[in-house]
Amino acid sequence: MRARAVALATLASVSIVGIGWQLGSSAIEASQSLTASSGGTAMAATVTATTDAAARAAAAAKGAADVAAAAKAQADTANTAASAQAAADAAAANAAAAAQAAATAAAATAAQAAAQSGTFTGAVVQTQYGNMQVSVTIANGAITEVLPLQLTNRGGRSVGISNQAAPILRSEVLTAQSAKVQNVSGATYTSEGYLRSLQSALDTAGF
Amino acid sequence: MSLDTRKTRVGTAPANTPRVTSPHPAYQKRMRLADSLQILCIASVAIVIAIFLADGGAAKFGTPADAFTSLGIIAGLVGTDLLLIMLVLAARLPPIDRAFGHDQAMAVHQSLGKPALYLILGHAALLITGYSLAENVNVVVETWNMFTTLPDMPLAFLGLALMIGVVITSLVVVRRKFRYEAWHAVHLLAYFSVLVAIPHQLSVGGLLRDGAIARYYWLALYAAVAGSIIVFRFLLPVIRSLRHRLVVDRVDAVAPGVASITLTGRKLDRLRATSGQFFVWRFWADGLWWQAHPFSLSSAPSARGLRITVRGLGDASKQLPHVKRGTRVSFEGPYGLFTENARTLLRVVLIAAGIGVAPIRSLLETVSFAPGNATVLLRSHSLGDTYLVDELTDLCRRRGAELRIIAGKRPKGVSTWLPADAVSAGISLSTIVPELESSDIYICGPRPWTDAVVRDARSAGVPKKQIHYERFDW
Repeated sequence: MRARAVALATLASVSIVGIGWQLGSSAIEASQSLTASSGGTAMAATVTATTDAAARAAAAAKGAADVAAAAKAQADTANTAASAQAAADAAAANAAAAAQAAATAAAATAAQAAAQSGTFTGAVVQTQYGNMQVSVTIANGAITEVLPLQLTNRGGRSVGISNQAAPILRSEVLTAQSAKVQNVSGATYTSEGYLRSLQSALDTAGF
Repeated sequence: MSLDTRKTRVGTAPANTPRVTSPHPAYQKRMRLADSLQILCIASVAIVIAIFLADGGAAKFGTPADAFTSLGIIAGLVGTDLLLIMLVLAARLPPIDRAFGHDQAMAVHQSLGKPALYLILGHAALLITGYSLAENVNVVVETWNMFTTLPDMPLAFLGLALMIGVVITSLVVVRRKFRYEAWHAVHLLAYFSVLVAIPHQLSVGGLLRDGAIARYYWLALYAAVAGSIIVFRFLLPVIRSLRHRLVVDRVDAVAPGVASITLTGRKLDRLRATSGQFFVWRFWADGLWWQAHPFSLSSAPSARGLRITVRGLGDASKQLPHVKRGTRVSFEGPYGLFTENARTLLRVVLIAAGIGVAPIRSLLETVSFAPGNATVLLRSHSLGDTYLVDELTDLCRRRGAELRIIAGKRPKGVSTWLPADAVSAGISLSTIVPELESSDIYICGPRPWTDAVVRDARSAGVPKKQIHYERFDW
């Protein structure tokens, strides 16, 4: 290779890798802010369907989540690891309880008015391999679509497992019309997270 | 040593000779192409690393498991990129041939084989380790898990096994034990091993997931490589063979076992072949059709005909000097940079031994030089066993080149290209050829002999870029 070819190749490579690095760090920041916000909504179910009951439940859940987030922020500023953790845990537990109550209330209300139609987002379920969240679409009392919003993605292997398991779980759910289906073998964590998130969405919908 | 200059020596050079040290016009053009191709290759490696980083890869080194997994992914990406480069190098792409020549491209192809295999093996080993650390199981269990639970992994393991086989059979020591045809059949499995690895790249791991830009880039890369192989390696030779309809027109005996074969066909100027290039020929006659042989043109190609001069050495090529008039010939080519295109300066030295005289003979016909600026050296055991000498003498006279025939046996136990008496007299390339360091040197002959000439030229201070030779052994 001639010196000028080496120089140009080095220049080109460094800039290409630099661009990749830039894109990557903005992607990392985006995913971190996503994790932070989903941390606050721990077990809260957000509902995009608009009936009064559900909206009220959602507001309640959101309120609880805000409390949790605030508590967490407070705990962060406290700066003592142990107490921060304890405070955050307590806040999260509170938030979870509140959200659960809200969701149950919403479910009860919704059940009276029969199952609603619309798209419902399930809770973010934390697993050993990352967060799991699905949304479910209900039309005329039937589950018509389940979409993964977040799949377990810690390490390339679990991404592979998720990509493999998600379509299987989706088709099982659509057949069974409930979240009570078998785990996909070899994808236990993914299956459990997927089905728990789905169940929370179904609960919200009063399905 | 006997020197025979056959009265071709040109008198004193005219006073207004062109500045022979100025670069040849072909050189800059070719080097620009070569530079771009090399930059493209290196940039392609940078791109796959950028793809990994763009997906947030830089953050995935926190735990040992993540670090192993990330390194494994990078090894797989770079290794696969090298594999694709190897395939392109073997695809006989015209720009690659123009810039580097077929044998140089194949030398790079060969030198990439082991690094690519190590990277792919590293890819497997690092990912197995990374996954097993993440799941707290041992590597054997993890390998089994991968094999049974991940999509498309059995195919990927098959691809890895094939690739190991292909590289092992290509190691020089092992390769010698095979016939060319057997080795080549195994080698073609490389295409298959690259293909079966594709599904797992797309389904396992999230880097090339559905909808990601990287996935489209990756698929486009594969499509481009596959397209160039199909077009230039397979389709183009078939189309050209059908279009030009080459047949044997005449066979002239040159010496026992050596013959010049003239081929005619339609619109041969469309081939854009040049002196010094070779084709891979297949003669459709009994006992010959199953082997294809590379032979260089032994005279400048024209619209009317192509001529090769062959010596029956291999099992089937023994019959070649007896091939019948009218035999159909299919071919791949023209290939090679043993041509005017490789020139860097305005002086030229052509050195041949044995049947290596064939491309030298065609080069002498058309290579550009002012009278007095070319020397032809013909090396043989004795004055009698040289080929095409009359043609060379005639051409040298017409074009103003000096012809020297250097005859005599090489000394035993000494690595040299010259006869024993020349060596003991302290003669070397630089004492035979005036202004050697400002000349392009073309060498064609048996491999060890060629190597000896190259060493002699290098020790005389001739830069590598001025020394041109091509290897035909596989």
